[in-house]
Amino acid sequence: MGSKAHVALNDISFFLGQGKTLGLVGANGAGKSTSICLIMDFIRPDQGIIQVFGKHPQDPEVRLKIGYLPEKTAFPRNLSVLDMLQFVGRTCRMSKSDIAASGEKWLKRLNLWDFRKSLLRTYSKGMQQRASFAIAMIHDPDLLILDEPMSGLDPLGRADIIRLIRELKEKEKTILFCSHLLEDVDRLADDVLILHKGRHLFHGLPSTLCKELGCETFEDAFLNLIEKKESHGFSD
Amino acid sequence: MVSAINRIFALAWLTVLDGLRSHALLGLVFLSISAQAGGLLFFDFISRDVGRASSDFIFSISWFSGFLFLFFHAVKVVAWDEDRNVIYNLLARPISRAEYVLGIFFGLALLMLFLNLLLGSLGWLTLVWIKSNVTPEYFGHLSPGFYLLSWAGLFAMELMMLSVILLFSGLIRGSFPVLLISISFYAICSGMPVVRESFSQQAVSDTGSHVSARLLQIMTAVFPDFSRLDFKNLLMSSAQIWPDLTTLLVNFGLTVGYITLSLWFACAVYNRRDLQ
Repeated sequence: MGSKAHVALNDISFFLGQGKTLGLVGANGAGKSTSICLIMDFIRPDQGIIQVFGKHPQDPEVRLKIGYLPEKTAFPRNLSVLDMLQFVGRTCRMSKSDIAASGEKWLKRLNLWDFRKSLLRTYSKGMQQRASFAIAMIHDPDLLILDEPMSGLDPLGRADIIRLIRELKEKEKTILFCSHLLEDVDRLADDVLILHKGRHLFHGLPSTLCKELGCETFEDAFLNLIEKKESHGFSD
Repeated sequence: MVSAINRIFALAWLTVLDGLRSHALLGLVFLSISAQAGGLLFFDFISRDVGRASSDFIFSISWFSGFLFLFFHAVKVVAWDEDRNVIYNLLARPISRAEYVLGIFFGLALLMLFLNLLLGSLGWLTLVWIKSNVTPEYFGHLSPGFYLLSWAGLFAMELMMLSVILLFSGLIRGSFPVLLISISFYAICSGMPVVRESFSQQAVSDTGSHVSARLLQIMTAVFPDFSRLDFKNLLMSSAQIWPDLTTLLVNFGLTVGYITLSLWFACAVYNRRDLQ
C-alpha cells in the first residue's frame, strides 16, 4: 500500500541442462535473487511459466531434487546442524542410516564434524555457510541452487566454497548460482546469464561475451555491456 | 499421505527441540513452577473457602503461563521466522506451505501440552497438600475428574488462540503487529460474553437492542466464547455434578471446528502469499 508496484523480471527465459553450471550475474536489483525465489516458489509470478524438472515449483516433490543455499543463512536459534540434517533427511524420505552416513560424510568434508552438536547460532559466518552447504547436500540433490554462496566470507572461506563447487561440478551436478563476484562466476560457470533491471542482457559463454565486446576480462565485458545498455536503452 | 504426515512431524519435532532448548521458555517454566509453589504460602492468607481460592490461584498461574507462551514464544516462532529468513530454510525442503503451518502448529501445541502437564501435575499435588492441611469445611471437594476437565478446557482455549495466532501471522508481517492483534483478539473474546449479556437484558424491552444482541451472538463465530470452556468453578462446587454430556460435546466439538477452520484459513493464506 502506498508504493507503486514495479516489474521485477520481464521476458526472462532460460534453460539449464543436466550437469551444467549457470551463473546469474547482475547489479543490485537486477532480478537475480527474484529469479531464484521464483524457482524455489518463495514468490509466485504474475505471468509466465516456470518449470523445474518438468514440474511446477509449487509441487513440493520438485524440491526433493534441489539443494538450496540461501543468501542469508538463518536457522532456528536453538538447533544444531545435526537437528537440521535430520529434519531435511526426514522430509526427503531418507532412512535414518542414510541420514547418519550422508551427514557424517558432509560434516567431515566441511570441517564441521567436531561442532556437530554445537548450536548453529554459536557458529561463525563461514561455519554457518558451510553448515548450509551440508544441509543443502545431504539428500544428494540433482540441482544445486546457490544464492550468493561467497557473500560475507573471508578469503579462506571463499576459497573453500569455490573448491567445493568445483568438486560438485566434477561430479556433474547441475548448479545454478548467483554472485556479485564476477571473477568467481568466470572461474566456475559454464554459461552466464546477465540480468539488468529485470531484463535479460546476455546468455552464453563468458569468453563469447569478452570476444564480442573486445575485452580482456569478464568483469570488463560485463561493465561494458551494462554501460552500453544504459546509454542505448533496451530496445536494440 | 504418510509422507506428508512424516514431513509435518519432522517440522513439529524441530519446533519442539527449538523450544525445549530456549532459555526464555525454560525461564517461563521456572517462573511458573515457582509461582505455583507460591500457592502453598498463598493459602495461609485465606480465611475461608481455601479450596476455591487455591484452585483459582493454580489455574490463574497456569493460564498466565499459557498466555506468556502464546504471546511471546509462539508469536516469535511463527512471525519472526520471516523476519529472520528461517522460513526460507524450512520451505526450501520438500514441504508444502500447508504442511509448514500444520508442523509449526503441532510443534507448539506439543510444547504447550508439556507445559500444561507439568503445571497440571504440580498444581494437583499442591491442591492435595493444601486439602490435607485444612479441615473439610474450608476445602470440601477435590475431584480428579473435574480437575482434568478444567485442564482440558484450559488447553482447548490455548489451542484456539494458537490457531488464531498462526492465521494472523499469515495475514500480517512482523512479530509485533501479530502480538498486538492477537492480544486485541483475546481481549475482545474475553469481553464479548459481558457485552452480550448486557445487550440480551436490554433486548427484552428494546427492538434495536434485540438486533444488536443477535449481531453479537453471530460475532461469537469469529470471537469465540472462552467461558464455555472454563470448568474450574465445577472443581469446587459442592454439588459435584458433571455438566451435561451434550453440552460438553458441543463445546469441545465447536472448539475442534474452530481450530480446524482457523488452520484451514491459515494454510490457504500461506499458500497464496509471497514470502518476500
